Amino acid sequence: MNVTYLDAIREAQAKALAQDERVFLYGQDIAGFGGAFKATKRLAEEFPGRVLDSPISEDAMVGLAIGAAIDGMRPIIEMQFADFSSLAFNQIVNQAGTHFYRTGVPVPFVIRLPSGGNKGSGPFHSQSLESLYAHFPGLVVLMPATVEDAYTMLLDAVQLDDPVIFCEHKLLYYHLKAEKLPTESLPIGKARIARAGTHATVVTASAMMHEALKAANQLAEESWDIEVVDLRSAKPIDTDTILASVARTGRILCVAESFPWGGLNAEVIARVVGEGFHLLDAPPLRLNSRDTPIPYHPNLWAAHRPTAASITTALRKLLGF
Amino acid sequence: MPRIPILMPQLGEAIAEAVVRSIRVKPQERVEGDQEVMEVETNKTNMGVTVPCRGKVVEIIAVLDASYPVGATLGYLEVTAADAARAGFKDPGPARGNRKAPANRRAAEPTNAKPGESTAGVHFQVHEEDTFTVAEPTGVRPTVGLPVPANATGATYLSPRMKARMQELGLNAADLSGIAGTGAGGRVTVEDFEKFVRQLDSHAQSDASPMRIAVADAMRRSCLRPLATVGRPVLLDRLLLHRKQSPNKPGPTLYVIRALAMAIAENTAVGGRLVGGKIIHPRSIDIGFAVEVDDGVLVPIIREVDNKPLREMVEPYNQLVKQAQSRKLSLEATGTGIATVTNFGTFGLVWATPIPLPEQNLVLGLGAGRKKPVWSDEVEAFVPATEAELTLSFDHRILDGGAAGRLLSRVADLLQRPETL
Amino acid sequence: MLLARVLEDKLASLYRSGKIVGGVYLGRGQEAFSAALAVHLDQSGGDVYAPLIRDMAGRLAFGEALIDPIRTYLGSPLGPMRGRDGNIHRGRPREGMLAMISHLGAMVSVVNGVLLSRRLRGIPGQVGAACVGDGATSTGAFHEAMNQAAVEKLPLVVAVANNQFAYSTPNDRQYACADLVDRAAGYGVMGYRCDGTDLEECLDTFGEAVRRARRGDGPQLVVGSLLRLSGHGEHDDASYVPASVRKSSLGGDCIELAAKLLLERGWADDADLATWRSEAVGQVEEVLEQVVSEPLPDPMGETWCALSVRHLCEGNLGA
Repeated sequence: MNVTYLDAIREAQAKALAQDERVFLYGQDIAGFGGAFKATKRLAEEFPGRVLDSPISEDAMVGLAIGAAIDGMRPIIEMQFADFSSLAFNQIVNQAGTHFYRTGVPVPFVIRLPSGGNKGSGPFHSQSLESLYAHFPGLVVLMPATVEDAYTMLLDAVQLDDPVIFCEHKLLYYHLKAEKLPTESLPIGKARIARAGTHATVVTASAMMHEALKAANQLAEESWDIEVVDLRSAKPIDTDTILASVARTGRILCVAESFPWGGLNAEVIARVVGEGFHLLDAPPLRLNSRDTPIPYHPNLWAAHRPTAASITTALRKLLGF
Repeated sequence: MPRIPILMPQLGEAIAEAVVRSIRVKPQERVEGDQEVMEVETNKTNMGVTVPCRGKVVEIIAVLDASYPVGATLGYLEVTAADAARAGFKDPGPARGNRKAPANRRAAEPTNAKPGESTAGVHFQVHEEDTFTVAEPTGVRPTVGLPVPANATGATYLSPRMKARMQELGLNAADLSGIAGTGAGGRVTVEDFEKFVRQLDSHAQSDASPMRIAVADAMRRSCLRPLATVGRPVLLDRLLLHRKQSPNKPGPTLYVIRALAMAIAENTAVGGRLVGGKIIHPRSIDIGFAVEVDDGVLVPIIREVDNKPLREMVEPYNQLVKQAQSRKLSLEATGTGIATVTNFGTFGLVWATPIPLPEQNLVLGLGAGRKKPVWSDEVEAFVPATEAELTLSFDHRILDGGAAGRLLSRVADLLQRPETL
Repeated sequence: MLLARVLEDKLASLYRSGKIVGGVYLGRGQEAFSAALAVHLDQSGGDVYAPLIRDMAGRLAFGEALIDPIRTYLGSPLGPMRGRDGNIHRGRPREGMLAMISHLGAMVSVVNGVLLSRRLRGIPGQVGAACVGDGATSTGAFHEAMNQAAVEKLPLVVAVANNQFAYSTPNDRQYACADLVDRAAGYGVMGYRCDGTDLEECLDTFGEAVRRARRGDGPQLVVGSLLRLSGHGEHDDASYVPASVRKSSLGGDCIELAAKLLLERGWADDADLATWRSEAVGQVEEVLEQVVSEPLPDPMGETWCALSVRHLCEGNLGA
């Protein structure tokens, strides 16, 4: 059996619906149609009345999830594209993010964000918003990079008592495959050493993890031994695992598909410099997408975001110091 | 006539591949632009594949019910050069087919795979053919590493990790002078450092004494300054005669100590330190002298030497030498002086460039006395005399060669009149 | 109504004497409209209520203990918001009273969520109410939530207190339809209008709206016309309200009008009214005396954790 990243997300939702009657799904085109990416295919049939189409009202979708969560349910909201969650920004950061701190009542729900770029997706169907949501208190932000993590982290997210921003990468939906669904996983908030190495650390997540692995494999041909840390979680950040890796290598490159100003890369580097300055043998580097809207044409798009090639270049720079 | 490919279109967001469900044309059939020639199915939808311009179908590569990635060549049309150009194919021909080799490979082995299935059972696999391989952007300057400060060669530039490792092992930058750096600008990287440390393990090692470590530390700190040395000869005969006639026999070093203190007292700036934009003058003229002890040197201090006649200092001086040799110096005698006198002549040396202590500006050295013929105007002949070299090492930021020379000459003058000391 | 008025007068006085920080926002003139909705809700029966800034009367009518607003305004760690949020941003979500955020229109969809949850859990007959003002009707959040409730046919009652000004902005710069209640037809929900200064009319209107929602007729939109008899907050003298509007029927004081009605009908006499007022004053003074002697929030004892799952908190990264 082959399982894609998308299958894993669909199966995780099916399992969550089956094992927990508090779970329901709410989003645009997710019921009979099965979702824009088919992440909820046939779930409406299998779980009648628990997979609901919403109007095109991102703000109200999240508001509804918050109300249901307050009332003891565990909603999963599908944003059709991560980009459209900006329309629900207020509910996410001001309502969901503040609720537990203000009232002592947790709001357990998951917002699934189909994130990241893809050929021809352009400025409004390509964004990676993890840094934006991680900036605000009261939210957990997850970024599965593997089929296994997509499955287990979504199941864990549903069971978490706090709001979770679940950043799925669209490029991985169909491209990434595994033999079977996993039976065990790392806990939420722990990073994973995706590739062990000694010369430099790449800290990354989601689709960029695969680009980093390609870059590491290419440099391995030149006898460079690159360690790749898959963050899995943008918030909280597993600082311990990162520092342990930098302790091994002395050099760090952070790679993310989000825009360059501030954000996850900057946060990781700030922590490494602040807590592990003495571990660094070279200035920490970061690689992000460019500071422009995400361009439409594949030629421009491919040069806009980090790739195995640009990661390799950055690593050469880092290793050359 | 040029051939152009019939391509698997982009079928929606994030759709990677689709299954060919029907093929509506046959080879040699003529087709019009925008005509649907195949139907494909994704897990989202069914969709027609159209041709970009009119032409003749010359080859159908696609196999029914097989899955092809987006961008794969499903077949070829033969078209006129004009039509090809209008459709945006600048260089139509077999090359395009070759570029889509993975698609052809798949076509050769059609399966009944559904969309979303793969024959590769590898975890975390991203299919190469589905992702872009981008050439290095042109016009970008080649990378030569991150900037390092100028003159970073060797261990003059230390990364935070290098500093931490050195502290951990109790090493100083001077200890790394033998390492050739392989990093940017020739800097010593942690890898170079660790290699060096590992290599040290292959040598016989012994612990340096605390005294050795203390001296090393003082010398290292002192050498942060630009130091210089001047020297001149001095005749010792009058000094030696005066000594012979003195009841308590002051040592030659004590004469030099007293002479130096008197010379400094005439202009205390020369005994000062430079801190920022200011000369810090000494509060009192306390002079130290070097006493060799086991595996090191101690420098006892005599306070306010300018106010004490030579004869009064003989006994205390002798006491200090004994105390130093037995390492029993009082706290009073181990403080900070403003200058040090070292009689390296006792080792038979005639010339040396001693290094002043880090908190002092001056160190005055006395070489071994030697008999020399010296012209005497009185007897109008060469007569034997005892001559030694006086050296003065100093912080060049405070004194120049001239000032240092004048100070040294003044000391030499005073030594010619030992009765005034 | 009377207790709310007395309490808010006291809070305004505490603000002016520097005891309350941030701001005090009063519902003066809106007590009848606010309380008339809440008295029809059944807190213990599971109804849910999302009051807004000028709903002190509704909150108390819904069942909020007098000590909650006082503790919240004074930032007491023993109050429902524990000094972490203040004034009108209070609630007890587990007991059916949602804690508003400042962003207008944002609470309506949250009530929808609670009501959908009740439906999914198979709990019938409970209603939810959300309060907004004329200003909030201009937000996208309000529109989205009204439409959402209508699509799901949720038992939602939305009270629009049209007090003619959103802060200082008059209605003619807020909307262009003849009457806000006309929007009900656009959403496909039942619409009502009432005189917000007339307690009896408010009670009748909300009684009908809540009854219909409870029996499954879907969302109900009630628009009450009235005037805010104070500034936006105690810092605002409302000098932008023209004298003509103040003097119009909109400017009537619902409490005075209600008292008049009671006297006319012979349901109470002047002595009763005076007793009720002095009882209200006594209650407020008593609770206030207790709260001012309570401890203040302690930064050293604060968890600084915005997540309920403590081990995932990064709250101590800053400062």
